Amino acid sequence: MPLSFPIDVSLASAAAALLLPLTAFGIIMVAVRPYRRLCAGISIAAVGLSLMLAVFLLIRHLGMPEPVVYQKSWLAIGMMHIPFGILLDPSSLLMLTVVSLISFLVQVYSLGYMAGDPGFSRYYGCMSLFAWAMMTLSISSSLIQIYIFWELVGLSSYLLIGFWFEKFSASEAGKKAFVMTRFGDVAFLLGLVLLWLQMGDLDIVRLNDPAAVTQNLSPAMITLTGLLIFGGIVGKSAQFPLMTWLPDAMEGPTPVSALLHSATMVAAGVYLFARLFGYFSLSPTMMSVCLAIGTISLLMASTMAMVARDIKQVWAYSTISQLGFMLMGLGAGSFFSGVFHLMTHAGFKALLFLSAGVFIHHFNTNDAFSIGRQGGRKLKSATICMMVAAGALSGLPPLSGFFSKELILGRLLELGNPAWFVAGALGAFLTAYYAFRLVFLILFPKTGDAGAAPDDGHHHHQPAGALAMNAVLWILAAVTIVLGFWEHHVTTFLASALGAGRSQPIGHHPWLPIAAGLLAVSAVGLAWLEFGRKKARQIGFIERLPALARFFAQRWYLDRLYRYLLDKWVYQGISRLFTWNDKKVIDGAVDGFGGTAIHIGTLIGRLHTTMIQNRLMVMALAIVLMVLYFGLSG
Amino acid sequence: MIVPYYHVIILAAMLFALGMFCTLARRNLIMILLGVEIMLNAAALAFVGAALQWQQMEGQAVVLFVLAVAAAEVSVGLALMVSIYRRSGSLDPDVRLTPAGKGAE
Repeated sequence: MPLSFPIDVSLASAAAALLLPLTAFGIIMVAVRPYRRLCAGISIAAVGLSLMLAVFLLIRHLGMPEPVVYQKSWLAIGMMHIPFGILLDPSSLLMLTVVSLISFLVQVYSLGYMAGDPGFSRYYGCMSLFAWAMMTLSISSSLIQIYIFWELVGLSSYLLIGFWFEKFSASEAGKKAFVMTRFGDVAFLLGLVLLWLQMGDLDIVRLNDPAAVTQNLSPAMITLTGLLIFGGIVGKSAQFPLMTWLPDAMEGPTPVSALLHSATMVAAGVYLFARLFGYFSLSPTMMSVCLAIGTISLLMASTMAMVARDIKQVWAYSTISQLGFMLMGLGAGSFFSGVFHLMTHAGFKALLFLSAGVFIHHFNTNDAFSIGRQGGRKLKSATICMMVAAGALSGLPPLSGFFSKELILGRLLELGNPAWFVAGALGAFLTAYYAFRLVFLILFPKTGDAGAAPDDGHHHHQPAGALAMNAVLWILAAVTIVLGFWEHHVTTFLASALGAGRSQPIGHHPWLPIAAGLLAVSAVGLAWLEFGRKKARQIGFIERLPALARFFAQRWYLDRLYRYLLDKWVYQGISRLFTWNDKKVIDGAVDGFGGTAIHIGTLIGRLHTTMIQNRLMVMALAIVLMVLYFGLSG
Repeated sequence: MIVPYYHVIILAAMLFALGMFCTLARRNLIMILLGVEIMLNAAALAFVGAALQWQQMEGQAVVLFVLAVAAAEVSVGLALMVSIYRRSGSLDPDVRLTPAGKGAE
């Protein structure tokens, strides 16, 4: 009796946490769209309640011995059953809490940012849908369910990136995000089908059980399915070959970027990797591929960020590189470091975007130089919060990023091959450099004095909305500062799920924290030398080599390459073939039908429209035929 | 019965076919009306033959009706034709009458 009672409470609260945002989405879209304040209220209330329920679940299951699974068969095809369910284990509970927290904060922030937008209600509707999709994804119990909500996350981010769809670039960016992630999703789906054929089901708990997997799958098959599923992760998390959609996704409203980059869309990829960590780690090839892709993305995106001028784009590149860093940690075999970095990153990246949103909202420009010149540092709380977040991103000691980065670096060091560690350290160095390049650009503008004129005109600036925005910033800043010190608690909590067998203790190198701290500090120092100090010319060392700078600014010509391939192969080759087929075969057939019908029609019609005798002839003929028919058959 | 029944039927069929040919082929409304009359009479002939064959008087009675209807039809038809000829100056079956009463070319 005492056992059955708590299970029901958990199930009920988890289901309620999931259903609330969906209900909010339905109500907003169907019933109350004209009432803007009501829409925002419903959406925020729903996600706020979800947040409370998530925290409740987290606390309730703090000491749970093993994962809790609720499953119900959703539909059955022949012998196959597709279950839907809820899997509560430490990583899903943490993810649920993070997602609902960030969603809640972003929605509160949007009260100020989106005020007065004509699509206010639609915005909140989509946000609810987004929150629902991501939260369900995080506590899904089977891969099929994850896949469904994975696509829903893609859909809602498409809707939100293209939110200002009347702007051509925004609708293009939405389309690009959707299509590029779809490349990965095709691989993901293929992997799922293969895995299903081999395993018989796609239960996550079962997939993470080494005994069950090796019994059903050959090592080569594990690698193959792993690589296919990893393709989906690459698309969703904007890793190396499919990275270019993420910078373009900046066309959406800034709070959307914050949500997209921190806890929802791109995090889904890394989260999936963490979810299937036990499965992936069975294939060493898979893990090395993951490590390599993560490293390439980390370094490439860092170089792109070093020359970008657009404040949001810098943070977008940093998201790619930080996701690459997480994948490095996971690929190096440390479940905990990747997940912990995912969490800390969710906090500080949301903070970075939301503070960037304050600047953009205030100055109506995305350009860091221009924000600095217009007196960006006069927005005190946004500036301070941005510095806190940038410090966390760079891995400066007391902030959350420092702890998680140090964990990943420590794990990379243990791999044996120093190349990984060097690459990771280089990435961390570059990250700190570009983060503080941007901070100094805003803090110490050089050309043109910070005129007070634009600042004066903005004092009446929506006090209530600004209050909400600032409050959210401070909450996130507090989280960023504090979260690092909970490292130990999070470790033990996560380790309790992994079980004793699979949690690999991370060796502690006493010099590593100091080295990592020094690395970050030296990178910040370099940034200060070039951008911060009084006589700095604000030209980075990359920009001394114009060719290299151009190369980086053009995103390594990846976009151009894709464009070229698209024009050359898809549009001129495949599309032309299809167009030809469409015009000649399909149109020809349809037009032929129509033409023939018209011809016959005119022929027959002539009998009707001309002389009365023709009609009589038809009549006589018909009678003769009828007589023949009935006479002969009867 | 002096004449065999099937001779009567064959004659009636031939008359009917001739009448139909006349109706369909001639391009004069009067000849078309004549063709219709011939077809009617062919049918009447078949009725008379059948009445004789089975010794039933209904066949001959129907013929009387047919004759009456044919007479009425001819008078109405000829009157129409006179009217059409007055309006359009032609007895071509293809002629179209405009509401104003003037035949189109």
